Amino acid sequence: MLVAGLVVAGVLACAFFVLTMARSSREPLPEHSANFANGELLFWAGGCASCHAAADAEDSDLLILSGGRSLNTPFGVFRSPNISPDPNFGIGGWSMLDFVNAMVKGVSPDKRHYYPAFPYPNYQNIEIDDLLDLKAYLNTLPPSSNEVAGHSLQFPYSLRRGIGLWKWRYLARSRSDRTNEASEQIERGRYLVRGPGHCGACHTARDQFGGEITERLLAGAESLEFGEGNDASSAGRIPNITPHAEGIGGWSESDIAYALETGFDPDFDSFGGSMVEVQENMARLPAEDRAAIAAYLKSIPAISSEAH
Amino acid sequence: MATVALGATTYVSFAADELAFANQIEARQSFMHVYRFNLGLLGAMAKGDAPYSAEQASAAANNLLAASKMSNGAMWPAGSDMGAEGYAGVTWAKPEIWSTYPKIGEKGAALTEALEAMAAGAGNGLDALRSNMGGVADGCKGCHEPFRAEND
Ligand code: HEC
Ligand code: HEC
Ligand code: HEC
Repeated sequence: MLVAGLVVAGVLACAFFVLTMARSSREPLPEHSANFANGELLFWAGGCASCHAAADAEDSDLLILSGGRSLNTPFGVFRSPNISPDPNFGIGGWSMLDFVNAMVKGVSPDKRHYYPAFPYPNYQNIEIDDLLDLKAYLNTLPPSSNEVAGHSLQFPYSLRRGIGLWKWRYLARSRSDRTNEASEQIERGRYLVRGPGHCGACHTARDQFGGEITERLLAGAESLEFGEGNDASSAGRIPNITPHAEGIGGWSESDIAYALETGFDPDFDSFGGSMVEVQENMARLPAEDRAAIAAYLKSIPAISSEAH
Repeated sequence: MATVALGATTYVSFAADELAFANQIEARQSFMHVYRFNLGLLGAMAKGDAPYSAEQASAAANNLLAASKMSNGAMWPAGSDMGAEGYAGVTWAKPEIWSTYPKIGEKGAALTEALEAMAAGAGNGLDALRSNMGGVADGCKGCHEPFRAEND
């Protein structure tokens, strides 16, 4: 009995060990000559500055990715790292492969798992060539020697190893591949929304472990970002952006594109909250890209705001 | 006001119009609708959904400017935020308005500044109107970003 028990425990421990191991990819990267303009486009589409620049940064300060911004969530406080090209405090010493592993696998150069507060479940959909351009662009930004304190998370979320289980259960759910059935424009919109734009990170509801509920794609969610008091009293609901009547079914494609360009909804109320930074990033993309996002949002399944 | 006693716990539920600050909240939300309405007139011209009229554009821009100069403090009593008991779903005003006071005043002043430029430019042709829309958008967003919760 005892022996059998020990064997079972041993097998479970091995299973936990294997399932939670941080695996990075060692596959060689394709030959690539950097397109910096495309890298800059990915930088704005990905909203890196919204989490990695200082909280009150505007204009050229948005390019200083010194980190330290706190994200107050139900799991605790995350502090974004310095991802400026400083070799000591930032990611200046990273290889291209290190960067790709972080963005696609959520694994650090020293083989630790990243928390999905870093939206790599969405970024895993970014194409390799685009990631290489993005890193080349990041290398051109000003270095910062800001040293960032660690996260302050509640147990058991404080254990990074556990993220291995989370990934095993959830990471594949956020994948979105090219379909070949939709028009080029809708495909481009799908790519921007499901990949760099990480719209679902806010607009898709999550279960109790913080995994996106695929059946509720973009149909609205509780806000996970808490106010200064770090409680839910100033967190609202993030709206449904599917073409359902409870979502933005009443908006035309040009209404959506105009809102992403200016921050005004069709009634000329302005965006507020965390959507302001997203919109100001989207305003920096070419008009065709905002039109593509609008076309994709009109093409997805209409889902009611309430889970039935 | 309905008070329901369940064992040792007392639950108090309010109807929206029985809240102490229902009037003030209604007034400030209506005030925001005046902004939205006048801005919509300018926006329709900027987008090309309505023909440009210098006279109408100036009138709407002047309304916005006058509205932004109103002294509205009485519409924003402390304790009328969305975190106060009974106020969720009635108001979207965040507690930070009061906890970081007087920061919200700076946001109001920034909007007034953008509206001065809009009022000066709106009657001088469609391009002048269009080029001032971004500044006004920043004025509205600049305050909604920190101080208004998302309204589904
Ligand atoms: C929603 C906020 C958010 C956004 C947007 C975001 N990040 Fe991050 N990022 C984080 C957080 C939080 C971490 C820390 C994760 C951890 O410690 O596990 C992180 C970690 C990283 C790391 C690892 C840094 C290190 O020192 O180990 C890299 C690289 C990175 N992000 C790059 C990016 C890039 C590039 C973008 C834009 C395409 C981006 N991030 C957008 C929140 C964000
Ligand atoms: C950081 C969180 C976050 C991300 C990422 C995000 N949004 Fe939003 N979005 C919001 C919030 C919050 C609102 C509500 C804003 C308000 O009420 O003022 C919103 C509102 C909207 C609205 C208006 C809906 C309505 O009914 O008024 C649209 C359209 C929208 N987002 C599209 C997008 C698209 C497209 C993306 C991806 C490119 C995106 N959002 C990414 C948080 C986010
Ligand atoms: C100084 C801060 C501030 C400025 C500037 C501001 N707003 Fe608001 N706005 C708010 C707050 C706070 C609320 C939430 C009020 C509430 O729910 O009690 C709000 C709510 C609204 C609403 C929703 C009202 C409702 O019925 O719930 C609209 C529409 C609106 N604002 C439009 C605008 C427009 C358009 C502008 C720019 C011309 C603007 N606001 C500028 C603070 C501001």
